[in-house]
Amino acid sequence: MTETHPRLKELKFTFYRIFRNPSAIIGFTLLIFFIVVAIGAPYIAPPKYPHNPYRMPHKGFSHTPKPPSSEAIFGTTSGQYDIFYGAVWGTRTAFRIGIFVVGISMLIGVTLGTISGYYGGILDELLMRFVDVVFAIPMLVLAMAIVVAFGRGLDNVMIALAMIGWRSYVRVMRSSILTLRELDYVQAAKIMGVSNLKIMLRHILPNGIYPVLVMAFMDIGSMVIVAAFMSFLGLGAPKGYADWGQMVALARNYIVGPPDDPLKYWFAIAIPGLCIILFVLAWNLIGDALRDAFDPKIRRG
Amino acid sequence: MGKLIEIKELVTNFNTYEGVVKALNGVSLSIDQGITFGLVGESGCGKSVTARSIMRLIQPPGVIVSGEVLFFDDESQTPVDLLQQSEAYMRDCCGNKISMIFQEPNAALNPTFTIGEQVSESFLFHQVSEMSAKILDDLSSPADKTVILWKSWLRFCFRIAARNPGSPILKLVERIPLLKGWKRRLKKEAIQRSIDIIGQLHIPNPEQVVNNYPHNLSGGMKQRIVIAIALACHPVLLIADEATSNLDVTVQAQILELLVELKKTVISSILLITHDLGVVAETCDRVGVMYAGSLCEVADVKDIFERPLHPYTRALLNSVPKKTQTDKLYSIEGSVPNLVTPPSGCRFHPRCPLRIEICDQQEPDLVLHRENHLVACHAISEEE
Amino acid sequence: MAFVLFGVSVLIFSILMTFSPERRALAYISSPQQVKDIPMIVKQFGLDDPFHLQYLRWIKEISSGNFGYSVVAGQPVWDAFWKYFPVTLELNLFTSPLIIIIGIWLGMQAGIHYNTSIDHTTRIFAIIGWSLPTFLFSLIVLMIFYGYFSVFPPGIISDEFTLFIKENPDKYTQYTYLFTVDGLLNGRLDIFWDALKHLIMPIITQVTVVVALLLRVMRSSMIEEISKDYIITVRAKGADHKTIYHKHAKRNALIPVVTVAGWLVAFSMEGSIAIEIIFTRQGIGWWLATSAVQLDIPVLMAVCLFFGLVYVITNLIIDILYAYIDPRIRLT
Repeated sequence: MTETHPRLKELKFTFYRIFRNPSAIIGFTLLIFFIVVAIGAPYIAPPKYPHNPYRMPHKGFSHTPKPPSSEAIFGTTSGQYDIFYGAVWGTRTAFRIGIFVVGISMLIGVTLGTISGYYGGILDELLMRFVDVVFAIPMLVLAMAIVVAFGRGLDNVMIALAMIGWRSYVRVMRSSILTLRELDYVQAAKIMGVSNLKIMLRHILPNGIYPVLVMAFMDIGSMVIVAAFMSFLGLGAPKGYADWGQMVALARNYIVGPPDDPLKYWFAIAIPGLCIILFVLAWNLIGDALRDAFDPKIRRG
Repeated sequence: MGKLIEIKELVTNFNTYEGVVKALNGVSLSIDQGITFGLVGESGCGKSVTARSIMRLIQPPGVIVSGEVLFFDDESQTPVDLLQQSEAYMRDCCGNKISMIFQEPNAALNPTFTIGEQVSESFLFHQVSEMSAKILDDLSSPADKTVILWKSWLRFCFRIAARNPGSPILKLVERIPLLKGWKRRLKKEAIQRSIDIIGQLHIPNPEQVVNNYPHNLSGGMKQRIVIAIALACHPVLLIADEATSNLDVTVQAQILELLVELKKTVISSILLITHDLGVVAETCDRVGVMYAGSLCEVADVKDIFERPLHPYTRALLNSVPKKTQTDKLYSIEGSVPNLVTPPSGCRFHPRCPLRIEICDQQEPDLVLHRENHLVACHAISEEE
Repeated sequence: MAFVLFGVSVLIFSILMTFSPERRALAYISSPQQVKDIPMIVKQFGLDDPFHLQYLRWIKEISSGNFGYSVVAGQPVWDAFWKYFPVTLELNLFTSPLIIIIGIWLGMQAGIHYNTSIDHTTRIFAIIGWSLPTFLFSLIVLMIFYGYFSVFPPGIISDEFTLFIKENPDKYTQYTYLFTVDGLLNGRLDIFWDALKHLIMPIITQVTVVVALLLRVMRSSMIEEISKDYIITVRAKGADHKTIYHKHAKRNALIPVVTVAGWLVAFSMEGSIAIEIIFTRQGIGWWLATSAVQLDIPVLMAVCLFFGLVYVITNLIIDILYAYIDPRIRLT
């Protein structure tokens, strides 16, 4: 009787745990859909301005959104920007925001958290005080302040969010480290003379990274939401940029239509809105399924 | 002395991801009144599962598949199958007629409630009528100083409570903020009883202890509190599920002594579950040996130790290091089977030195060999 | 705690200092003609002095209540704050108890009925609520309840009442500046109802979004508690459903929830920004966002400080709550 390698078995078990959750399947399907759209953007919605594909094309300047027609599949929003184009290229923007912000936040946060948690002492104290301060102001508020200082634009929004986002990762990683640091096998490695760096990289990090991973997935969604809101306010992407939040902002005056047909311009808000919701939902579902899969208490039956 | 509990062909499974764990494979045993029954076996052989199945404490994904647990409540009446009774019956029975104490005293108590609150719960669940009757007597005595108006209200409530604790009138009163103060008297009485029983268990300063929280007490003390909770209502059967395994040896001895003492006065029978043969030898009258979800042998304690019949029992006794031993320690060949895919026939047969042909085809039944001595083994039956 | 406030003030001030002295001088002029005076203003107010000097100067100003002037409000920041604060407070007064009660109860039910349909439905609700940006949800609520059904209006209070209050100061005294409470105190039930009607949509939005969060934490906490040993002890005592879950498990399950409470408050505050903008309620959140767009810097700084203060106070309350719920902590 051949026994599969225990690590492989554990991996297979993890995948089983993730995918037996129907929400994970939905999440992954949605995510793959978005990835396909993002990669295939130039083919699905050929850009009008080849050097700057994020500028949405607009045929005319009329303020009133026009409903879906043969020319514009999803209709046009205020200023006659093509909603379909915006939705497609907005996917790329969303991925850019999410991955950039969370990637950098994770990098900074995990590094700082590991060092702080492992070495402890004054370094740890100081860092935690600093993180307390950064936590004191809600993310949105602080992002607004930074964006006002640095100037508007999507890039500055992303930088601002990355400058704030690492705070949660530091705390989560640090608490993981604090637990793991005391475990017997780490003590054993120390006694055997393994260097601190090696211990951190080989023993502690791979085991402590799970809650961070779960958090990262859910965070991508949150960051996209915050960035969308800032674009909605006018602090993020400029007018006519292919960003979902920006598109909702364009339709701001058309939330409620004329009294006889109040939902006349539903498409101008609903379509970019739906894109945001589904995108964030995909990441959240996967993150949720990951959390259930990694949770040792719920893990086995 | 008649029977107290009779378990017949109890089958319990656990539906896990890895498959259906057949934890109990048709366990049958009976416990008489006034007896201490020791259930021994290795970790994972199903002893705890048996105990919890008796009290129907098995939670999903576990499920009691089939079998009977006959409880001889009153000598004259017919036995009651606990597995068929309603939830309400079990709630009345557990903690009252049948109680259980557990292995890990540190986790068995709720850290956010005082000791007094937790022990008095036993009284408040099961002894409301008795306490109400007593309070009514107290209220009638001349020494009582309660205001007349409030006293008549209390009398009214307690008269109902003495007859029918679950009365809908009382439930209605629960919702009225001021009037439900009658319960305070009840709680005070329950706390008083808690102090009594804690004192009986040789815990110093019971009046102070009831106001403490679990984390203020040591492991041994906590275990005594758990015992107090279990014994509050004078159960006829006390199930001790590895109750001393996590304690220091000295504390273990104290607790066992306590249980023996209490058996003379308060409890009737004890089902002692343990993997420690020494404990069994000291305290038990009758012993059952379990392996991988089945009972191998049941006999009086002397018979088990002096004339063990089942090969597993013999091997188990051989494994215990003796004072005079100088050669290699004996251990049983092979390892405990996976209960998702247990061996066919007798579950011990892959490791059994007396294995014969039929052993992997048919499960052996528990058969009476000598007086009060049952064995489940084909080889032994063949010999006779 | 004091350190956090200090740190927050330093942080905010540092962000301010990223502007050049000339940009900051702009805050002191009130007309385009004065642009040529900027170098003089820089010198006059010491806007190119070393960091710590300017910081101390700023702290001095703040301690005397001078937070600067808000272009958006057309008033000094301090006065404007008291104009906008009641609006935000009113909403939170209504939503906070609702959120706590509904969130905890739903979380408990989901945890008790783990892996059944109740659990799955509440989880779906929680996940959708978590994926729905507050501003989008507000827009949807607005479209449905105001646009389509025309039942509830946005804003704070109807124009007729605004006019009435302005023109009849003798008939209507503003005790708390909260329209609902003042309406009742003045015996004007119609004003009370009107204010309440304007509150319904924001309440629905805020409660849904925050409950989705609270629900999840409570659920996982409950699941963890139910699997613990002391629950079996209680079951073995013959306890009923209500005692096991509502008495024993709940108290322990609430402890991690209290930890998260701070985060919930922050999330509520972020959400209220979106809600106030979309439902046109001029509260702190609205003020902040409008100031950010119009580069009204003193407001940004003051509001950041305010949020920092709220955070510190919330944490203090949480620490006290902790000691109350968990007896293990009381001794330390």
